[in-house]
Amino acid sequence: MESTSLIERILRGIAITVVILFFMFPIFWIFLMSLQTNETILRVPPSMVFEPSLQNYRALITGQLETQTGTLEIRFMGNLFNSFFLSTTSVAIGLLLGVPAAYAFARLKFRGSEDIAFTLLSFRFAPPLLVLLPLTIYFQQIGLANTYGGLIWVYQLIVLPLILWIVRGYFEDIPADVEYAYRIAGHDFWATFRKIALPLAGPGIAAAGLLAFIFAWNNFIFALVLASADKQPVTVGALAFITASGIQYGQIAAGIILSIAPTFALALYAQRYLVEGLSLGAVKG
Amino acid sequence: MYDKEKQLAEDFVAKKIGRRDLIKGMSALGVTTALASTLVNAAATRALAQNGFNWRAHEGTTIKLLLNQHPYTDAMIANLENFKALTGMDVQYDVFPEDVYFDKVTAALSSRSSEYDAFMSGAYMTWTYGPAGWIDDLNEYIMDPSKTNPDYNWEDVLEGVRKSCAWNGRPGGALGSDDAMQWCIPLAYEQNNLTYNKRVFDANGLSVPTDLDSLVDTAAAAKTAMGDGYGIGVRGSRSWATIHPGFLSGYSNFGQSDLTVAGDGTLSAAMNTDVSRNFHSKWVEMIQNSGAPDWSTHTWYQVGTDVGAGKSAMMFDADILGYFMNGAGNAEAGNLAFSAFKANPDAAAPTPNIWIWAMAMSSFSTKKDATWYFLQWVTGPEHQLFGAQDMDLVNPARSSVWADEMFRNKLSASYSGYVDMHDVSAPGASIKFTAQPLFFDLTTEWAAMLQRMVAGEVPVDEGLDMLAESVNSQLAEAGLR
Repeated sequence: MESTSLIERILRGIAITVVILFFMFPIFWIFLMSLQTNETILRVPPSMVFEPSLQNYRALITGQLETQTGTLEIRFMGNLFNSFFLSTTSVAIGLLLGVPAAYAFARLKFRGSEDIAFTLLSFRFAPPLLVLLPLTIYFQQIGLANTYGGLIWVYQLIVLPLILWIVRGYFEDIPADVEYAYRIAGHDFWATFRKIALPLAGPGIAAAGLLAFIFAWNNFIFALVLASADKQPVTVGALAFITASGIQYGQIAAGIILSIAPTFALALYAQRYLVEGLSLGAVKG
Repeated sequence: MYDKEKQLAEDFVAKKIGRRDLIKGMSALGVTTALASTLVNAAATRALAQNGFNWRAHEGTTIKLLLNQHPYTDAMIANLENFKALTGMDVQYDVFPEDVYFDKVTAALSSRSSEYDAFMSGAYMTWTYGPAGWIDDLNEYIMDPSKTNPDYNWEDVLEGVRKSCAWNGRPGGALGSDDAMQWCIPLAYEQNNLTYNKRVFDANGLSVPTDLDSLVDTAAAAKTAMGDGYGIGVRGSRSWATIHPGFLSGYSNFGQSDLTVAGDGTLSAAMNTDVSRNFHSKWVEMIQNSGAPDWSTHTWYQVGTDVGAGKSAMMFDADILGYFMNGAGNAEAGNLAFSAFKANPDAAAPTPNIWIWAMAMSSFSTKKDATWYFLQWVTGPEHQLFGAQDMDLVNPARSSVWADEMFRNKLSASYSGYVDMHDVSAPGASIKFTAQPLFFDLTTEWAAMLQRMVAGEVPVDEGLDMLAESVNSQLAEAGLR
């Protein structure tokens, strides 16, 4: 049995602390900024001593931003809702379409299967603007411009290839014999997919869903080009704090804290699945 | 309710009483300044409705605007109800942050979208939008008395600003020439002058610089006085926007230009003249000795924030940036002062290059006549006066607004030297660049070369020769040389 010496444990503790400090310090600093006014943030030299205030969060939540030139109306909470709605719905639809497709690509060998799978992956290669300008014209013609439905459809360009290709790898890693045994016991293809393949690939599907959610959440350009101001996600909305009359650092920091909170919470919750899921596909048996 | 107050406002608009009587009368009635101003603005709108022009010709029509998030937009939105009441039209709008605004505009126009009828634009951008056929020549509306109200008074728009929005579309064509198309109409504009920290200057016995040599010296002295801070803020990022504010304003004051236009219309680089070399050397020396340590990353935001936070002693940039930074929420609020700046000691007056926020009409709009009603209202004297008096529509583009006593007093009360600065430099204010399709690429390359000079990677003389050679080859490649 392997034992750990005291020195080794201390060194490991120090190393972990250093790593945590390194990665968490920017977030901690941003959190501190979110509790300060612009004036205290811009002090020369910077200081960690200040009187904390929730005014930045209040401004974001009420939608009334006080700037040098007066009160500015902002829609940050609306942007946050848009991000949440667009990302969640897109990933849900992406999972609904992508997981069965991934299973089909993993298990069923049919003519052109690789070509189709590669075509779907190639959506990720195209520069977004190249796709978006023609799409703007088509969307206007078919009435999808400036609609949530249109945006969710376009978001499939981000989430679907990601889900399909990641989940396909997990399905391929599950020994087919397990499924054959279940089929021999008298169960049909659909039941095998639901009862055997899906549970076994569960961590992989969770990891793919989470990654797709993060990618969708961070998207910027699709809604900017295809939708009006009221349907913009938080990635565009956050830029509202950079104004001609100055940068509202405090509100930007508060906005960052609020906007990373959902992905942060989701990542913490699904951390086990994420690690398990990502490492499962990494090693071929 | 408010009958007496309304009458007072209407008498004032009809010029039956003066401003002093209006203020006295409103005070006697217990009306706040803000309400008085709103009443005057509403009275001006009613007066506009009675000028014989059929403002309701497009009643019931809805138009949609694409707007940049800016104090000018705030002024527009704050006064929108008056336009709706005047015309019976509805106005919808999308406001996007400036960082992504032009991406949105370009996407909408290049996809020939009819969603937006009109939008805010910079004058430089119309050099791309106009020749591409994305925006309309507004001369056909301005010059048509059946479409334009008799009180519009186009000549009231400052000449340099008005002409800077007009171009004939020929590379090198003079802005505002007789055959120029009016691609946009100014809402307001920025001149590039000096904003300095009066507290720092007074405490250290510094004088306001009056030419390039004294600017270099004062910046060095200010840096010593500032301790942790630095002497002068100017932009330095690898972008065309580094060249257009203070740099080009000073450069053009020496009679220098970016390009030379030959008699046959061909263009060639003009940055490697002796005068230009001298100017570049001094500018580079100033940044090396007294500029921000991270100058090469500085954009509008850093330059403004630093002067507002007391990190720099002065800046040579947009006057309205200084105006914003002198407001509440900045450490140096109230300490900033303004001065017109003439880089060339032998020049008669300052010649600031300008940035203009203007309104343009989309060629893909399906409601152009109705849209023009909005454009003439929002760029007209009534709205400009409202914006200047009650909001932050600085610098308004109309001379009648600059003559308004209330506006001048408002500025003078809180912005030391602003009115004088404007009056001195406005006659020489215009766009100093040569209008041509490679504007953004060539000017960005100029900024990149400036960065190399400041970093000491290349001597000024050699750098300017390299720049001129590259510019000439690109012009030749594009068939412009």
